[in-house]
This record gives sequence, structure tokens and C-alpha cells, in this order.
Amino acid sequence: MLARYVVRRAVASIPVVFGVTLITFTLLHATSGAFVPGLELNPNLRPADIIRIRNNLGLNDPLPLQYWHWIAGAWPPSFHCSGGLICGDFGRSLVDGSPVRDHILERLPNTLELTITAILLGVLISIPLGVVGALRRGSVIDNFFTFLSVAGVSIPSFWLALLLILLFSVSFHAWGLPWLPSGGAVNSFEGGDPIDRLTHLILPASCLAFVYIAIWSRFTRSSMLETLSQDYVRTARAKGMSERRVTYLHALRNSLVPLVTLIGLELPGLVSGGAIIEIVFSWPGVGRLALERALQYDYTMVLGLTTFIALLVVIGNLLADVLYGLLDPRIRYA
Amino acid sequence: MSREEAPGEEGFREFEDFLKHWSRRDFVKRMGIGAAYTAFLAGGVEFMEACANAGTGNPTTVTPKKGGHLTEGTISDIKTLNPVLTSDTASSEIVGLLYDSLLNLTANGDLRPLLAKALPQTSSDGLTYTVTLRDNIKWTDGSPITADDVKMTYDFMFDPQYKDVNSPRRGDLEQYVKSITVKDAKTIVFTLKSVYAPFAVNQLQYGILPKKLWGSLAPKEVNTTDMNTGPTVTSGVFKFQKWDKGQQVTLARNDGYWQGAPYLDTFIYKVVADSVAIGNQLKTGEIDYGQIDPSQFSDLSAQSSLSVVTFPVAIFTFYAYNQNSTAKVAQMFSDKAVRQALLYALDRQGMADALYFKQAVVATSSMPPISWAYNKDAKPQYPHDPAKANSMLDAAGWAKGSDGIRAKGGQKLSFTMITNAGNKVRENSLVAMQDAWKQIGVDATPKLITFPQLVAQITNDRSYDVFLVGFSWSAEPDQSALWHSRNTAPGGFNGFSYKSSAMDKILDDAVATLDQNKRKQLYFQMQDILNDEVPAPILVFNKGIWGINKRVQGMTGGDFGLGTYTQFQNKAWMRTTFVSDGK
Amino acid sequence: MAVDQTALTQLEGTPVQYEGALARPAQSYWSESWERLRGSRFGMFFGGILVLLALIAIAAPLVPIFVTHVQPTSVNLSGSFGSFSSAHLLGTDELGRDTFTRLVYAARVSLGVGFLAVALYLLIGGTVGITAGFYGGVTDDLLMRFVDILLAIPTIYLLILITSMLPLPVGPIIIKHDAISLSVIIAITVWGGVARLVRGEVLSVKNRDFMLATRSIGASNLRLMARHLLPNVLPVMIVAASLGVGQIILTEAALDFIGLGVQPPTASWGNMLLNAQSYFYHSTSLVILPGVCIVVAVLSANIFGNAVRDAFDPRLK
Repeated sequence: MLARYVVRRAVASIPVVFGVTLITFTLLHATSGAFVPGLELNPNLRPADIIRIRNNLGLNDPLPLQYWHWIAGAWPPSFHCSGGLICGDFGRSLVDGSPVRDHILERLPNTLELTITAILLGVLISIPLGVVGALRRGSVIDNFFTFLSVAGVSIPSFWLALLLILLFSVSFHAWGLPWLPSGGAVNSFEGGDPIDRLTHLILPASCLAFVYIAIWSRFTRSSMLETLSQDYVRTARAKGMSERRVTYLHALRNSLVPLVTLIGLELPGLVSGGAIIEIVFSWPGVGRLALERALQYDYTMVLGLTTFIALLVVIGNLLADVLYGLLDPRIRYA
Repeated sequence: MSREEAPGEEGFREFEDFLKHWSRRDFVKRMGIGAAYTAFLAGGVEFMEACANAGTGNPTTVTPKKGGHLTEGTISDIKTLNPVLTSDTASSEIVGLLYDSLLNLTANGDLRPLLAKALPQTSSDGLTYTVTLRDNIKWTDGSPITADDVKMTYDFMFDPQYKDVNSPRRGDLEQYVKSITVKDAKTIVFTLKSVYAPFAVNQLQYGILPKKLWGSLAPKEVNTTDMNTGPTVTSGVFKFQKWDKGQQVTLARNDGYWQGAPYLDTFIYKVVADSVAIGNQLKTGEIDYGQIDPSQFSDLSAQSSLSVVTFPVAIFTFYAYNQNSTAKVAQMFSDKAVRQALLYALDRQGMADALYFKQAVVATSSMPPISWAYNKDAKPQYPHDPAKANSMLDAAGWAKGSDGIRAKGGQKLSFTMITNAGNKVRENSLVAMQDAWKQIGVDATPKLITFPQLVAQITNDRSYDVFLVGFSWSAEPDQSALWHSRNTAPGGFNGFSYKSSAMDKILDDAVATLDQNKRKQLYFQMQDILNDEVPAPILVFNKGIWGINKRVQGMTGGDFGLGTYTQFQNKAWMRTTFVSDGK
Repeated sequence: MAVDQTALTQLEGTPVQYEGALARPAQSYWSESWERLRGSRFGMFFGGILVLLALIAIAAPLVPIFVTHVQPTSVNLSGSFGSFSSAHLLGTDELGRDTFTRLVYAARVSLGVGFLAVALYLLIGGTVGITAGFYGGVTDDLLMRFVDILLAIPTIYLLILITSMLPLPVGPIIIKHDAISLSVIIAITVWGGVARLVRGEVLSVKNRDFMLATRSIGASNLRLMARHLLPNVLPVMIVAASLGVGQIILTEAALDFIGLGVQPPTASWGNMLLNAQSYFYHSTSLVILPGVCIVVAVLSANIFGNAVRDAFDPRLK
């Protein structure tokens, strides 16, 4: 049963992936495609040079042919892998000719490091905040947390990032306090050790976690409140169980289950979630790569990157579906 | 720098005297007030002497320390490490540290021999350049650099059999060079098709590749080989260590460097998000030096850990009136009075002060003031004179209408100006220009487009009205790229269609002789004509502004210190640079 | 076959009456929700702020005339980074332009995009959702598959992709970096979620008795969709829109900040922050003020949106 369900969902995903490649391909080639890398104000480039370079990069072929090259490699088709998406070749950068896949694989771990840390941070802080809010419902501290939550989703993340950098990096350094680095993942020289990575990770991960905390703490709170009003909790109390046991043993554990659902929703967005944060903090992840290359009109890179990310999203959705299928048998038979 | 830092009131007064005594403009601007004060505290007299030396040689009072690393902050990552393929500044910077070239320049732009033993010997007819290589030059694997290496490198950019190599230099080499031959193991002969004065400066500064590794590659392989991202055998002051894409390039000292190993162990070229990040990281010490924006000049100058150096550069911002026959505005701009009046209306000094934070110089001619061909008396000049602009336009028949906009024969003096989005100074320049022209009854609207679209407009479409863009000259005074009529062809940068047979002749004659005096006279004429015709007026010449951490020594001063022509590809000062803490 | 109009109207308008029941008069869903909304103090207060901001934005051209006496584009090269003064209430920027005036004009862009994009994505998503849910079968499959494809591409990537290509000539028009184009682009990127939501709601309403009855009388498909389905899915759409405004304002500001949104010299809160970043040393207020504006706008939109959702969500009865 489960296997059939998984296969069904997987097969349904394939046209989605191809649809994505078609969309991104069409979008990128909607421009006149006049850009040739290196054509800065270089007085030495002749029109013949430009034509030659474009030819070498295959930019002058007809569009359907370019799309075929993109998906399946060389034309006419053969059985062994000659490139193309099917063979895992996501193209080559227009700017420096390097394979897109290499860039992605280099940067992906950094992005995951950032988003996973942010999620962990989010969970670690949301739960206590939500529990306290629920237990002390209506109190000053609950109202304060509520206000923080609403404010949290209203603050632009890039502005927060900017202010944090100005405070914890530049100002702290100027005031002689221990300061945090303002960007990058590691120190350029003799960096890379865990402490170094951690100091670079704190600010961007906190920024990213900020929104998670705002939303999840509210959710935990309301989920906790709902659980606390359930019959079995009242029964437990009536049976004489201590308040603390009631809270933590029963109520908390059960109220966390819906939270897991929420976190699961973040799975597909794991790779794309931190793009703006990556940009502001010069974090060497795939989000920043997308923007950098988009600004350089490196079409093939952005195309390959977006396709790859979309692929991951589809896989992420598939995994999430499988997970729910496992948890909730009703879904399998739908 | 606050008064609390002064050892005492007296000390502070003495320092003020010190500043008055030593020209503020010169010394303090280069080293920063903080540096001056610290140095003064450290030992005024010796320091003053060192400053006296600064004009002629590197400051020698501090003993160089071996070891340590140097980090340069940059906004753009490199794209390739192949000297034949580079077309962007970042890549050529690192290539310049890895591969030596035949010649390079001093800070002021004088040619100096590098791999060559001496400056090229030119034949009496000016058509052949004979370059003899030094004896002690070698690759990092120990083998000597020979003329065969040079020939192969140039073949990649010139020879028909290597047409598939994506070199941006092919066009020029094919146009001017007839043949390149190896005379013996240490001698190469370049034969030109006609006398071309800029040849040595423009074409003999490319990094040389080792034939041993590259000679066997097929042309297409030259474009894609792994050696483009991880060179193994090089010849420069540093060796390649690794490239973390999008983050940094790490280079290690070349102990066997023929000029002698540098003091530094490691050089790191670190990519940061933007100029704000460069400023921040300079302050925190995460990077040691980097080029900064004019807006950061005062902030970083006030940091006690940094010194800020500035110097003139041949980079400038200019705008052009579209005079292509098909342009709607061609009629409007064909009148010289209109072109001149519009220039008189601009407060270029105000723009230099506000937009460039005083770190730019109003252009007085198309030649940068540092050039040997600069005519300081070029006429006419265009100080800010809105009254004159108004009267000139009135006299030309452009009367102010009821809406305040001038019109003539039913056509309004109204147009759009384009520049690329993302460059704040250029965007703001258009806003300032719009405002200045509104005051004299001209309606100009700024429009931002992408950089490739801007380049396409200038070199091909040419359907714009006015464009604003940055440009740069090399150390060579030849300016044919902008003013020669042959560059009005599609692909050329004379996108405003300035055609003058007199100008063509001057430009052609000036490159067809090696007599510098004769060339100078011709370029003086060129500047006078351009100042009169103003087909594409230059607003300002920029300044190179670099923030340097005080622990970095030996980078500035002398013929080869950080300067106009030693900023990017040519880091001739790398040999003498060291970090005072040795870390 | 002619449609029996009278019977149709009768069917729609029949009130439910119980004899002798002591009940307060039956209220429609709408007036009940509206009353609930009015009861929420926080909601109405921040709704008021939102309306105030919108009014200020609309009245922007009046500000230079009556309040600040300078245009947002007036350059004053010698007066850059001025501090708060009577002439310049909130100081000036790097070109000597009045900050207060620019903030007001920027409100037009940010709020305009916020509301327009939401309206557009409701329109597109609603139409697609209703069509897909109503017709079912192949239409539903195709449309929802397309929505899946669209939703697979993360929003920010799609936005970066599209906006980095502007200005883009498409046939006779050129899509530029202006507020309206951006609203359209953002709407095109995010309508997928609403479509799914609406379709789900349609599926559950489709088979209710009144729908079957109405159809049996012979009402046309269009009438069924417009007059019967639409009012029943509106609550879900309102809920979707309620938090959308704040979200869109943030997205647009982020786009401006990375340089791909509204371009100078048009002011928007996002690109004012982008500019201010480089000039932090020269003026702190330039970094703080536009950010505060964004927070106030988004906060108001979110709190009011929350209140709207609490009041209008049919599932919270």
C-alpha cells in the first residue's frame, strides 16, 4: 500500500520537474540574450569577436535546440550520457564556463548549515516561549510575548540584519567589546575551526530564526492551551498527578505534535529559505549565488540553480507526503 | 582621534604645529590623520625623514618582517585564472600575481621591463619590436621561461589555428600584428603591419603561460581546462593554493621567485557582499586592505587602525549626446551651442563634492591630468555658469515656453538620459543633471537600464538620447576608442557618432609615430578640438581610494607603490609589502 | 429551455423561519462578521493606522505644497545629510533631498504594491481555483498541475529571475521596474497558494444541496460560479488576503533592497534603505526611518489582518 502510494506520488512529480525547467528556460530566454560575458567597456572587442564567442557558447542555436541541449545533451540523442539535465549536468556558467553543478554542490552545505541551525534555534526558543505564554496566559509576560510575535513578523529581515551587523559587529568592535564578524562563513585566514564557524553563524542564523520564533511560539502557545483544556488532562489532575507532571509529561508532549507538522512544512523550503539573509551577510550559500549571478546575467547558472532548487523542493514535498502517509493511514487511500 | 588620546595639552599643540609644518594635503591625506599622530608620537624626527624619503623610495625606517598573511577585500569574485581569457578586473588582479608578463608599469605609468631584460628594441621603421628575456627567470617547477612560452601564449590570442580560444584580445592583435617569431631561446620578435605607438603598453603586459603544460592543448581545451581554475605551474610572486568559489582565492609565497621571494607567506583575495561590507571589514580587521567608495572616505580616515590613500586614476564618468543621423535628438544636438550650453549649466564641482564626496576631479579635457599628453591649457573651459547657458540657448533660438521648457520650431528641448541601475553614483549623477537642466528650461528624464542593455545601446542599438557611463584609459594616451569615426561601426564605442576627418587624422598620425614630442603636440590639438566640440563631455576623473590597515607596510610610496597604474593587475609593490606583526 | 427566474430568486432568498422561536433576527454572515470585527479594539485601531497611511500616501502630492515646500526630487548638492530642522523635518539625504517628502512618496509605492498585488493574486488565484474546482476532471488536473509547478519554484528565486531581466520588451510594451509592473510580477508569483485554497473550498461547497438544486433549475455554469460559489469561497479568500498585505509589503521592500525592485530616482522604503546603508556614517536617521515606516505599515496590516481573519473565518464559528 505504502509503496504504491509513494510510487504514485513520485510519478506525479516528474511532469512538475519538467514543467519547472520549461518555465525557467522560457523566462530566461525571453530576453534578447544579447549579453556575452566579458563585454564590459573593453575597447578591444570587435563584432566578429562577439559572434565567435556566442557561437562557441551555443547561444546562436535555435531555441528548441538549446532546450534539448539543456535537457538531454547533444543532438542527435545517444544512449550514453553526453550531458543535459538527465545526466545530472546542470549546464555551464556563461561567465566563466565552470559547471553549474560544482558551484551548487560547493554552496549547498553552507545553506543547509544556516537553515538547519535557524530551525533548531527556532525550536529551542519557541517552545519555552510558547509554554510560558500558555501557562501564564493573560499575564504581562504573555502579552509581551504576544506583542513580540506580532512585531517579529512585521520587521523586514534585511533591516534587522543591517541593524544587527551595525550593532554587534561594527559598534561592538569600536567600543572594544568582543565583536561578531559581519559576514562570510569563516575567517579568510586560518579559519574553519568549529568556534570560528560558530561565531560567523550566530548573527545570520539568529536573523533567520527570528521569524520562525515569532510564528512557532504563538503556535506552541495555542496548541498548549488547547491540550491543557482536554479531558484527559483534567482526568490526570483529578487523579492527583502533580501540576508539573501534568504539564510536561502530558500536555507538552501532545501539543508538540502539531508543531512538528509546522516544522515539516519548512522541509521543502530548507534550501531556499535564507536567500535574503545570505545576501546581507555574504553567506556563501546558493541563495546568494543566485542573486550574484542574476546580477551578472549569467543566465545558464541561474537557470541551472533554479531548476536544482525546484527539484529539491519537489523531493522535499515527496518526502513530506511519504511522512504523512506513514503517520496518517487515511491519506494513503485517498 | 580625540583629545583624550593626547599625552598632554602640550603634546597636542605640538602635533598641530607638526601638521601645519608638513603639508596637510600631501602627507596627511595619504597616511591619514591617525597615522600621522601615531607616527608623531612614535618619533617625529625619524618619521619626518622617512616622509622625505617617501617621494623617492619606499619608506625604509621600519625593518621588514618575514611571514604573515595579507587579505584584500573585493566585491567581485574572479572568473578565470587564464591570462589569455581574462576580461574583468578581479581575474586580472590574481593573474597578475601568478603569471609575470614581459613588461609592466610604474605607479605613474612608465613602462618597465619585467620578464624582459630591457624595454623592447624597436627597429628604425618602428615596425619590429625585439624583446629579450632575462636569464634568471623561471617557472615554479624550476624550468626556465623561454621565448617559446611567450610565442605560445600570444599564439592563443593571435594565431588562426587557435581561433576557438575565447580571447578578447584577438581583435586588436589581428589588426596590428603581422607576425610573432622566436629568434632564439631568449628572444622574440613582434612584427607589426604598421607603426602603432600604443603597442608596447597595450599588448606586452599579458601574463605568459608555460608551453610545457599548455602547448599540447587543443584550442577548445584552452577554454575549459582545469588549469583555468587551478593553475599548477606559474611564474609570479605568489603561487596558487586554492580557490573557494564565491569566497576567496588563497595564494602562497613563491620562494623561487626570480626577483626574490616576497615577505608574506600568504595572500588572500576575499569576496565580500558590497562596498559597505568592505568598510565594515576594514574596521573590524577582517580584511587588511581594499578599494573603498568615496562616501566612506571620511569615516575610514577617522579610524585609528586604518590609513586611507588616494591618488588620481584614468577612470572617468562621461555623458554623450546622440548624434546618429537616425536619432530623434540628432537635430537638437547638432548645434554646438546647445551642447556647450548644457555643459555650462552643470555644476560639476558640486557633483564632485556631493556625489564623490570631494574624491573626484572635474575634467578639464578628455585627457587625465596624470598623462604625459595632458594639456592643462585646453580651451574652452566650462565652469558652472547657468547664466551663460541660458543666454546661449536664447541666442540659439530655444525660447522658454509657458511650461518653462525651451522649444524651437515646435520641438521641445526634452530628452531621456540612460545609465545602468545599481551604480549609485551614476544614478545620482543623472538626478543632479536633471535638476541642473531643469533650472535652464531643459527637460531631461533619467531612465535606468541593465548594464548589458546599456552596452548594447552604446555599441549597437543607439536609439538613446543621452547616455551616462564610466570608462577608463590605459597608460597610453590614444583615445581612438571613443573619438575615431571607424568606431562608429556596430560594436564600437563611438556610439554617439562623432565623425570628424580632422580628428581621425590626428588620432591616426598620433599612433603612427614613436616620437613622443610629436605625439604630444597632436594630442594637445585633439584636446582643444574636443573641448570646443564637446560631443561627449567628461564630468569628472575619479580617484583611486584605498583603505589599508596600519599593520601593512611597504605597500605605498616610491615608483612601484600602490598608485594609479599599480592598483589591480600590476601589484608591483607586493614584493616589498609586509605585515608589521608578522601574522 | 428558459430559466425560470422567479423560482431561482425564491430559492436563493428563502429565509429560514421557525415558528415561535425566540431568536434574535437572523443575521447574514457578512453583517455578523463585520460586527465582530468592529468589536476588536486592537484590530480597529491598527486598521485606522493603515487607513491613515493609505490616505497620506494618496495625498502625497499635497505634502510638498502644504507641508515641506520641496519636491521629492529637488536636489541640493550642498545640503546633503542635513539634520532635522524646520526646513527639513526629518533631514536630507545624500543629494540634499528632503527625507520626509521622500518617505511619504515611498509610502505610495510600498502600500500601492501591497494592496494591488493582493487584489491581483486574489483575482487570478480565485478565478483559477473556482474554475478548477467547479469543472473538475481534466481541467482541474491541468490547472492544479500548473499550480504545482509554480509552487515548486521558491518565490524569491522566481522573483530574482524575473526582475533581473527587466527592463524587458514583451511585444509592444516594455516591462520596467515600476510599482505596477512589480505588483503584477509578485501577484503572478504567489497566486498558486490561493488557487489551491479556493479549489479546496469549492470542492466542499460544490456538492451541497443548494448547489445541486440551483443547477437542476438550469442555471448556467457562469451564474453558478459567480453568484453561488464565489460568495461561499470569499471568506477563505479574505482570510488569505488578510495577512497577505503585510507579507507583500515585506517582499517588495526586500526586492528593492537587493536592487531588483523599484529603481531610483523613484523612492520606496526598501531602496531608501539600500542607499542609506552606504551612508551610515554620514546619517543614522536614513537607516532607521524607512525601516520604522515599513514596520509600522506591516504591523498595522498584520494586526488588522488578524482581526479580519478572526472575524471572518467561517471555521472559527
